[in-house]
Amino acid sequence: MQKPPVAERLADIVGEKHVLSRQSELLVYNSDGLPGYRRQPRLAVFPGTREETIKVVRVLAADGLPFVPRGAGTGLSGGALADDVVLLGLHRLKKIISLDVANMRATVEPGVVNLRLNRHVAPHGLLYAPDPSSEAACTIGGNVAENAGGPHCLKYGVTLNHVLAITALLPDGEVVELGSATGERDGYDLRGAFIGSEGCFGVALDVTVKLTPRPETVRTLLADFMSVDEAARVTSAVIASGIVPAALEFMDGPTIRVVEDSVYAAGYPRDAEAILLIELDGLRAGVDADLETVRAICLGGGARAVKVAKDDAERMKLWQGRKKAFGAMGRLAPHLIVQDAVIPRTQLPAILKRIHAISEKYGVVVCNVFHAGDGNLHPNIAYSADDPAESERVHKAMTEIMTACIEVGGSITGEHGVGLDKMGYMESIFTANSLNAMCELRGAFDPDRRSNPGKVVPIHSCREWHGVASARAPRPLSAEPSHPAVA
Amino acid sequence: MTAINTRDPLPPDGMPGCALPGTALAGVLPGINACVHCGFCLQACPTYLNLEDENDSPRGRIFLMRSLLEGTISPDDQSVHEHIDRCLGCRACEPVCPSGVPYGQLLEATRATLLESRRIPHVARLILAVFARPWALRPAMFFSRILAATPIPTLMSGMRGRIGFAMAMLASTGRSIERSPYRASGTGERGTVASLRGCVMEGLFTQTNRATERVLTMNDYTVVEARGQQCCGALHAHAGDLETARKLARRNIAAFDGSGASFVAVNAAGCGAAMKEYGHLLRDDAEWHERAESFSARVRDVSELLAAAGPKPGGSMPITVTYDAPCHLQHAQRITQAPYAVLAAIPGLELIPLHDSDQCCGSAGIYNLIEPETSDAVLAPKLANIRAAGAPFVATGNPGCLMQIGAGLVRDGIGARSIHPVDLLDASYAALGQ
Repeated sequence: MQKPPVAERLADIVGEKHVLSRQSELLVYNSDGLPGYRRQPRLAVFPGTREETIKVVRVLAADGLPFVPRGAGTGLSGGALADDVVLLGLHRLKKIISLDVANMRATVEPGVVNLRLNRHVAPHGLLYAPDPSSEAACTIGGNVAENAGGPHCLKYGVTLNHVLAITALLPDGEVVELGSATGERDGYDLRGAFIGSEGCFGVALDVTVKLTPRPETVRTLLADFMSVDEAARVTSAVIASGIVPAALEFMDGPTIRVVEDSVYAAGYPRDAEAILLIELDGLRAGVDADLETVRAICLGGGARAVKVAKDDAERMKLWQGRKKAFGAMGRLAPHLIVQDAVIPRTQLPAILKRIHAISEKYGVVVCNVFHAGDGNLHPNIAYSADDPAESERVHKAMTEIMTACIEVGGSITGEHGVGLDKMGYMESIFTANSLNAMCELRGAFDPDRRSNPGKVVPIHSCREWHGVASARAPRPLSAEPSHPAVA
Repeated sequence: MTAINTRDPLPPDGMPGCALPGTALAGVLPGINACVHCGFCLQACPTYLNLEDENDSPRGRIFLMRSLLEGTISPDDQSVHEHIDRCLGCRACEPVCPSGVPYGQLLEATRATLLESRRIPHVARLILAVFARPWALRPAMFFSRILAATPIPTLMSGMRGRIGFAMAMLASTGRSIERSPYRASGTGERGTVASLRGCVMEGLFTQTNRATERVLTMNDYTVVEARGQQCCGALHAHAGDLETARKLARRNIAAFDGSGASFVAVNAAGCGAAMKEYGHLLRDDAEWHERAESFSARVRDVSELLAAAGPKPGGSMPITVTYDAPCHLQHAQRITQAPYAVLAAIPGLELIPLHDSDQCCGSAGIYNLIEPETSDAVLAPKLANIRAAGAPFVATGNPGCLMQIGAGLVRDGIGARSIHPVDLLDASYAALGQ
């Protein structure tokens, strides 16, 4: 007897309205936070419970169908795009399963929004430290997939440092426990391997996170500069002083002005060429002393003024401006391309000069807003993808910026992931052996390569793939793209 | 297909190969282009949170709009109509959008453009037709008032479906607060004010309209009448019937200009939001645009006028109240503090915070009658929060919200009633002489 079509079987599990198969309804899922890329899913399915998720993945496994996990679709690397395959949305799994205040940990479903978790634990004097700028929308599952960072990862570390355990659903439908809620590790750290696997190793059914006590004192400084170079040098000087700020963020003139035009206007000086947002936290006595040291470094390094937020409301305002900066780029043009290179901090002044020269060469406006403290650059260019000539110039400029970052010893991504967007750079920073090792690691979780196909590691880098593609291919719905291509 | 609004010029930065040139939707392309798909709007959207599909989210709907213009979706596509219709138009996405996408305007333009390939649903068409015609509106409201005064709506409010809910809405309008008559007086030195009577407000909340005039007088405004005023046209604009909305806007501008009043006072947040946007509505009308802009600049929510005057404290009234913010007051007009100032002028009033008071109640004009299922899903958490607050009064300054919340309270037998903040202040002034 012939099986009913997969859409029908999935609808039996999750309900008809949570399976989309009409082309017109799938369109909105054809891009994530980087709308210059568009890939149309063949089908979208949104399970509402853990049990439904397991059943859905088992149906897909039985049919050998590839799928792409997706959280809130706020990623900036095209990682959640499904090219003619099934899109598995996990945003409906949004239960906070448990909160253990005494042991400072919480277990949540993957669709829980980062900020919602933080609001939930705040009354207990706790916080979940990783705070990506998209915290108001992005999900914990997506944070795990991308090993998300955020301004405060300078002092507190990234998602990897705050996830204790994961119940993972492997692409073949098997449920496995990775890590342990106590944080102890026996054997190889498979939890660590899963975090940052960009959906290529399966999906999380629940995530146990470590919570952090709120610091006694938090002070936020705004230092403004009339030169990008001075701000870059001060960044290095602050870190060199031995102080570890909770966050040290950089915004250049064009970014400042875009933010100041928005509802998130934070009172940044519009005429400045750069600002640094520096946050210090900890015990009051230490923070006060550090504050004076940092203030002196800023003023000595050429800062025009250093302002300290007088209360929490003003602090929040300063941060909202920074965190919503990407979203505000729509004031310049409808599409946005963002890079995520990490370079040695001492190279900041030189690389910012290079970026400026490249932007002039191609006639594009680069906005720089980034985590300066750890050298994590986010050059972004707003442009119109409807204009092919402009798109080409923008992409050439970005490629040249990335090449420059790699030349000074940088990596291609700090927190956004490789996804589709940066796959083309993988071979310029990893040897063939390293890439093949990644392929083999993936094989341990997803031997058929059905989970998020065509992302992160170019398929031709996998040694066993050569020459036997047809024999190994898991009946893909379409060929996997091997290089990023921009719509 | 032909363009619905031939007066909308092609935008200078028009889309190459636009599938719907010359339509209202093509006219708002710059607003669509401002969306960079960041997703910061998702968690603000009541329909996304309830339906859990991006087609029912602001960024998803903007993508649908873009796709209509690109021609990748046909304007006849049934599912697009569904997702655009299901938007409450609460505009909660606007104050969180870093790029300042004017979502409300995009929605109205989309609905206007889609009207080309379908008609407004029967129920909505009937309601809109009545509202636009004073000769039909007056008897309809008269009949509703008579009905509301009988026990029939309460008896029928238990019925399932929209008839039952409509009856519960009607039943809720009869419940306000006792107050003894008093003579309002003031110096009148704050300037002249003409208030919008409105359709539902004058029809079903007559006492609130009179209270509005009294509390403005008490706060030293000179209240004058604007003869010839009509429905504000908000519901028509929301449904995409921009032509009728423009016709009503022009009549109201003429009526209020004729009154010579310095301010136009509005006690219905939805109407106020619409009237503050007459300038945008008539932007392509050479004859009226400037007048519309200057009119819109004079429109004030009644709470704004009262807050500017203090307002003067009333007599003691030991009651417990919780406050729910109408979407068109907080999101569309960006007024959040003024209603609290009104309540703070009532000595003895205890204000209980309402959890998620910034979330939509699901009323959205006539949405609750057109999309009852989604509307009810949005209302449910609101009622649960009101129950938890435990206050006998829920203050909110918009007739749609008053009736939606009021109906939910009647239907679910929750011991609380919805009330306009102005009615509370009026009762407090009435208590002054006692």
